[in-house]
Amino acid sequence: MLSYILKRIGQSALVLIIVGLVAFSMFRFVGDPIDNMLGQERTMEDVERLRAQLGLDQPFPVQYFKFLSNAAQGNFGVSFRQGRPVADIIAERAPATLELAAVSAILAVGVGIALGVFTAIRRDGFMANFIMSASLIGVSLPTFLIGILLIYVFSVELGWLPSFGRGETVKIGWWTTGLLTESGLKALILPAITLGLYQMTLIMRLVRSEMLEVLRQDYIRFARARGVSERTINFRHALKNTMVPVITIIGLQLGAIIAFAIITETVFQWPGLGLLFINAIQFVDIPVMAAYLMMISLVFVLINLAVDILYAFIDPRLRVSA
Amino acid sequence: MNDTPISDSAAPSRVRRALDSDLFYAFRRSPVAVVSTVVALLLILSAVLAPLIAPTNPFDPASLNLMNGFTPPMEPNAFTADSFLMGTDDQGRDVFSTILYGMRISLFVGFAAVMFALVLGIVLGLLSGYMGGWVDTVIMRAADVQLTFPSILVAMLIFGIAKGITPVEYRDQMAIWVLILAIGLSDWVQFARVVRGATLVEKSKDYVAAAQLIGRRPFAIMIRHILPNVLSPVLVIATISLALAIIAEATLSFLGVGAPPTQPSLGTLIRIGQGFLFSGEWWILFFPACTLLALALSVNLLGDWLRDALNPRLK
Amino acid sequence: MFKFTTVLLLTTALAAPVMAKDFKFAATTDPQTMDPHAVNSAPVLGFLNNVYEGLVRRGKDMAIEPALATAWEPIGEGEGWRFTLRQDVTFHDGAEFNADDVVFSYKRASDESSDTRSWFAPVSDVVKVDDYTVDIMTNAPNPIFPDSIANWMMMDSGWAEANNAGLPDKEAGNYATLNTNGTGAFKVTAREPGLRTVLEPHGGWWGEVEHNITRAELTPIQNPATSLAALLSGDVDFINPVPIQDVARLKQNRDVSVIQGIEARVIMLGFDQQEGASEGGNGSSDLFLDPKVREAVAKAVNVPAILQTIMRGNAEVASQLVSPAMRGFSAANATPYAYDPEGAKALLEEAGVAGASFDLKCPNNRYLNDEAVCQAITGMLAQAGLSATLDAMPVQNYWPELRADNFDMYLLGWSPGTFDAEHPIRFLGSTPNEEKKLGSWNFGGYSNARIDELLPMIQSEIDDIKRQAMLDEAAKIMQDEVAYVPLYVQPLVWGARSNIELTQRPDNFFILRWVTVN
Repeated sequence: MLSYILKRIGQSALVLIIVGLVAFSMFRFVGDPIDNMLGQERTMEDVERLRAQLGLDQPFPVQYFKFLSNAAQGNFGVSFRQGRPVADIIAERAPATLELAAVSAILAVGVGIALGVFTAIRRDGFMANFIMSASLIGVSLPTFLIGILLIYVFSVELGWLPSFGRGETVKIGWWTTGLLTESGLKALILPAITLGLYQMTLIMRLVRSEMLEVLRQDYIRFARARGVSERTINFRHALKNTMVPVITIIGLQLGAIIAFAIITETVFQWPGLGLLFINAIQFVDIPVMAAYLMMISLVFVLINLAVDILYAFIDPRLRVSA
Repeated sequence: MNDTPISDSAAPSRVRRALDSDLFYAFRRSPVAVVSTVVALLLILSAVLAPLIAPTNPFDPASLNLMNGFTPPMEPNAFTADSFLMGTDDQGRDVFSTILYGMRISLFVGFAAVMFALVLGIVLGLLSGYMGGWVDTVIMRAADVQLTFPSILVAMLIFGIAKGITPVEYRDQMAIWVLILAIGLSDWVQFARVVRGATLVEKSKDYVAAAQLIGRRPFAIMIRHILPNVLSPVLVIATISLALAIIAEATLSFLGVGAPPTQPSLGTLIRIGQGFLFSGEWWILFFPACTLLALALSVNLLGDWLRDALNPRLK
Repeated sequence: MFKFTTVLLLTTALAAPVMAKDFKFAATTDPQTMDPHAVNSAPVLGFLNNVYEGLVRRGKDMAIEPALATAWEPIGEGEGWRFTLRQDVTFHDGAEFNADDVVFSYKRASDESSDTRSWFAPVSDVVKVDDYTVDIMTNAPNPIFPDSIANWMMMDSGWAEANNAGLPDKEAGNYATLNTNGTGAFKVTAREPGLRTVLEPHGGWWGEVEHNITRAELTPIQNPATSLAALLSGDVDFINPVPIQDVARLKQNRDVSVIQGIEARVIMLGFDQQEGASEGGNGSSDLFLDPKVREAVAKAVNVPAILQTIMRGNAEVASQLVSPAMRGFSAANATPYAYDPEGAKALLEEAGVAGASFDLKCPNNRYLNDEAVCQAITGMLAQAGLSATLDAMPVQNYWPELRADNFDMYLLGWSPGTFDAEHPIRFLGSTPNEEKKLGSWNFGGYSNARIDELLPMIQSEIDDIKRQAMLDEAAKIMQDEVAYVPLYVQPLVWGARSNIELTQRPDNFFILRWVTVN
């Protein structure tokens, strides 16, 4: 068990080092950083001085090691566009994305599981069929279209909810939260729905199919034959056994939510990491791109690692098969 | 090498049986499947035949008349008296033609990305299953990592890097290939996993050992066994991937990291149309959005149905 | 019934008058910097006009009026100008404003590292006479000098030096990139680049307060549709610009008002006219050395069609680098290039370049519908037999690209800061000359000896008739040689909630102290 976990941790670290290499190569080879930092009126001395200052005159492995150790300390250099340390910018933007992702995830998981159970139990009912068809439309509609539609209906036509931004935020230490003000909560509704809808349909369909599979099992038939109430069967036995694969998928989808936030944040001008990243791509702001990449991969690797370890505890067989 | 008669006769008949009888029977009995197939085929066909169907070629800047801009659907333009089925956009491009041509790009990117993912997935899956050992570990770990990175992020990164290293005049042509590469790269894992599983099963069979005993390399033989076995799951995955790829392409183009405005795909059209949502020119957004929805929905429905039909025990 | 009352209560609670006059506004581009000397562009200077002040400023009618100087007069026979400074002016941090700050601000704004350097081309020296008198010496008599420095903003020398911001840093930025300390009516209380910038009234401001704002917040919203939605839903009180396609519909909405005008900005096409200088062009970089080819472009572009469709009839065709509202507009040269696709084709045949291909660079977030205009131009050029590849990018990447000579043809908008026809000649017409600070935005390297000769004469001529004759000559030369292809005068379209009163200045500067929230 321990060796398995250690192995996984080692592999995760390796993945991070490889992602770091990608991020670093990006920083090093996409556009000359000197070019980006000095104006057109630079002199040769300026170039040499900055080159030495940034350590660009050293061999590649040395530079890479420096980059990694800097990154490990949260130092990603200075944004080309904003002229500020990237770490500061990311710290500033992270709360917005994390809050949005958390609310969307809760929405997706809660509603997704409820609808999944419902459609599994009322398999052939009209409502269940309707929900299933609607969910396919949900999967086929790109997130950005849903966002535009929601803005048009609820902000412009009905005027109920704000169309952009986070509303009023409250500062708690370095963290800014929109969860404590009325305008902040209102501003959260549309983006959270937009972001959560896709994951919600995924979870719902997964829960439904897992549940149907479980309901087909012998022990459920047995329970039914023994006269256990339908409610107990559905919720005590079936749902519980459905949860293991569902939790795994949810874990993986959490990462996806953070990444998909890019689209939602663009549509709603939500001041988070996604908007920062898409701007960085447009402006070829490499330090920001590299930092975002490192950060997101850290999140993903950690989630993956947690899921793997959880798995090992739940199901010892998995330790053997890779 | 010589033929191996046993495997040769077995494989095609199995394929034919699956396609001819069971599947087709189930297909005819499902109205959803029939309708979605007809819609999908119709859309694909009209995209392929766009140069024949479309009244104008929207990708040829010389053929545009700016004065036709913002013509509503089925109404003559105030200046030129030209009339368009679905109206025109801000550049005077016929929306109907642009959708047909845009769909070509969307579908081309979708199909090419799926093909790329398919080939990559099959090759890596075979390698991983057959070689085992560290090759397997490396490939499967890479797959795990790949799976955790959402396609959209991978695509944007590749796009960001490509933008930094390609000269301007190639950027437009390059955009399409970057899209294919990016979407395809993020989709190979599922194919690889299925193929790897099938390879592992085949590897333990007796004929492989026999082949090895008489000094033949069993790899070629195995491929003939494995591919028919994985045909149905691969088909299902490919269909669903196609829908996902089309949506991914639209999303990337919408974010401005995809097809350029001079050669718009459906996503680019929607991005352009969004600017006219409030000004009353609804058709610039509406028709491309409906086309995208119809395309993705029909392919999705088809994939959903295929999955149930090919493997009734699978959800 | 019960439900109905709660709804009513709720709405009245929401609609209750807000005592604090919070004003929220949105713009497409965030000011790149808070440093008034680092970037010479309208979004930056327009915003900072609320925070920093110059010796003089422009009023609602664009006329020059006293700001930090109360009076000014020429010295001797035009050796320079003497400015009498306002007393008891304090910066936001409480420091006193005096002549030392003027001398410091001159050095800072005219330094090589400053983007506003060319404003001081005519200046030879700035001398402190006493604490509240400054002499600005000019190389030659300069009658319009006070008109040309309305955007030259004063920074506190002590503050800048204490924070290591003695010189602007265009590239890496410094303390003044994020922090401000001006004398203006508003001070910046929070600055998060790309997110929001918060302003509050400066309690110790010297002027008479007309506005009733207690707090103002600027949010950059890149997506025009999102910003329009924000205005319609009341999330912001003011947006600039209103997407031009939405003007007609917005006018029918009672909750918002559209404020329209003609901006001083002329949109034009520029060309690479240096031999072999283009790095980013694709093989035909010397294409536009031939005036015939430039003329062909002028004939190929159907400006009225662009105005009719993309600009929805909200702009005017331009004939020269300034609009008719500017001082020194050349009425003698007021005929725009005529649309003549056949003539364009013939000229290209004659020049032997029919079918040539090149790059058209274009910003996609700087001017109204800039990318759509460029796209349309690409189509029109294709019809005349020139194959242009459109390369549109955000303005933040655009200027560096132009400065690096990575273009064959480009789109540029020019608004003369002095409201005088001399301004574009100095920046766009003169041969680029680093030392004399001339032609600093003449990216294409257009050069004509007579223009270079005329410029100093125009600058120092006091007689209006003689001056106009020279301006006419310059306009004619540039028109004949097709130095640039002027396209149209950009319209100004602002949108505000109907409870907002404001004044629109033709230079597209949004002045907060003229805003009343009712």
